[in-house]
Amino acid sequence: MSDFFLTAEAEPDEAVKLALRRIDEAQAAGQGSDVEGLRLNEVVVNMGPQHPSTHGVLRLVVTLDGELIKDVIPVVGYLHRCKEKLAEKRTYFQYIPILDRTEYVAGMNCEWAYVMTVEKLTGIRPTRRAEFIRVIVGELSRIASHLVAVGTFTADLAPLGTAMAFYTFRDRELILDLLEEVSGGRMMYNYLRFGGVRYDLPSGWVEQCRDVMKRMPKLIDEYASLVDDNAIFLQRTVGKGVISQQDVVDYGITGPNARASGVELDLRRTRPYSVYPELDFEVCTAQHGDVFDRYRVRMDEMRQSVRIIEQCLDMLPRGPVQSGSLRAPYVVTPPPGSCYVGQENPRGEYGTYIVSDGSRYPYRLKYRDPCFCNLQLFPKLLRGNKIADAVSISGSMDLVLGGIDR
Amino acid sequence: MSGVGLEVGTLKVTMDEIAADLARDFAGDLEDVRIQEPDTIVARLAREKLKDVARRLKAHEDLAYETLNFVAAVDLGAQLESVYHVYSWRTNTWIELHVPVPRAKAEVDTVTDVWPAADWHEREAWDMMGIRYLGHPDLRRILLKDDFVGHPLRKDYVDLAENHPHV
Repeated sequence: MSDFFLTAEAEPDEAVKLALRRIDEAQAAGQGSDVEGLRLNEVVVNMGPQHPSTHGVLRLVVTLDGELIKDVIPVVGYLHRCKEKLAEKRTYFQYIPILDRTEYVAGMNCEWAYVMTVEKLTGIRPTRRAEFIRVIVGELSRIASHLVAVGTFTADLAPLGTAMAFYTFRDRELILDLLEEVSGGRMMYNYLRFGGVRYDLPSGWVEQCRDVMKRMPKLIDEYASLVDDNAIFLQRTVGKGVISQQDVVDYGITGPNARASGVELDLRRTRPYSVYPELDFEVCTAQHGDVFDRYRVRMDEMRQSVRIIEQCLDMLPRGPVQSGSLRAPYVVTPPPGSCYVGQENPRGEYGTYIVSDGSRYPYRLKYRDPCFCNLQLFPKLLRGNKIADAVSISGSMDLVLGGIDR
Repeated sequence: MSGVGLEVGTLKVTMDEIAADLARDFAGDLEDVRIQEPDTIVARLAREKLKDVARRLKAHEDLAYETLNFVAAVDLGAQLESVYHVYSWRTNTWIELHVPVPRAKAEVDTVTDVWPAADWHEREAWDMMGIRYLGHPDLRRILLKDDFVGHPLRKDYVDLAENHPHV
């Protein structure tokens, strides 16, 4: 029973001990509180893992001096499902659905990263129609993911309550319906295959998608009109949690978080894959790297995704959606070797590093998850801010714990 | 921001030129340098030389491998391996460093002081594969609980009853 209930003699865990030790060290170095020998104002507070604003099971051990954050120790792993170990006992094909469950907000993009790695190892080339379908579903997934990010982020800040979250989640269903029609699943797609995709687009789908894309820019403008001029929203976001370009370089920050700091790092452009070189779109950046810029970059990216999808629908060629024989995607045995392929996920560079020993099972599979890398910057970003800003900054980083914990 | 190549790919070089540069400046350090198309250099490196080479790779005037992408630990059976994937903004290319680590004494120097991003990745490699990164500021388990026994991604890991107290 004592494992489940906190008793008086329960030991604090390693993270809390570390926080307490750091306070002692600071005090010994004369940087502690102003009264000698007393931990005057410094309190160690657990934020999470069940805190609603942590968007999952992120736990922050926060050392507070009044309202000021002195130190933060993120604790992750509450959602660890042994995904890297699971790869050892599954064939390459059997492993595809597990990718949907790593970063479950943008499952399609995660599948894509894995499928691209295996394709590179084996030399399988997807058909041209399949490439276009992949870009379409990938960008749809990006819009859906950004809608979640923007909606929950504004709900955390609460100048509007959860109004905007309701709108974004309502319109996300438009996109999830499209993805459901194409793959059979709302969020757990299991759609991409080595050398192609599972099903061709159903009849009438292209027109339906065009219709949603026509409505999307207006909807995005509607969200923007709700918060962009809101004084409370601006006060809580502008100039808060600035990520410098040096941080981007040091900590490997990627995705909208890096682009908001003025870095034009977008793997769709800098390490082009699929048919992106043929498409016309802008890499959205902002200058200040603060919370507001990260929000704005996501809004701009949704508009660019709409542009990409519309172009793909126009250019969509006829032909098969699967290369090779019918059996080809099910039995894949890459030659011995290793390789890493990164892909531009809505949150940044998502990729898998696969070591093959020539058998039907991956010998070792390792994820490079953007949130895992971005979260490392957290202590540096939060130090010196007010505790209330921890919520807005963590919301603007758009963390998905399923990806971090794997 | 001084000294940070934040425009991507300002230096236009071919992969062959990069491989030649590395062979010249890191002769005797990097072994088996080969090109993995389209944009990655793969090389092997002795663990004693890791920290020194990491510093020089980061400070290299043309190539400047400044951002660590991830660290992967691999169990190759006879030995373990610590793999570093590093990005060069200036050339928009990657380098993949394979550092063999003996099973019996699974220790290697940390690179957190060269690439700060290595912090959590090294913790994860310690957690999952049991490679001890010497000099790491805070080498705790990261994904598994504090009192977990063993390193589950090693191929010889046997699931222990004490890791499942509630089953």
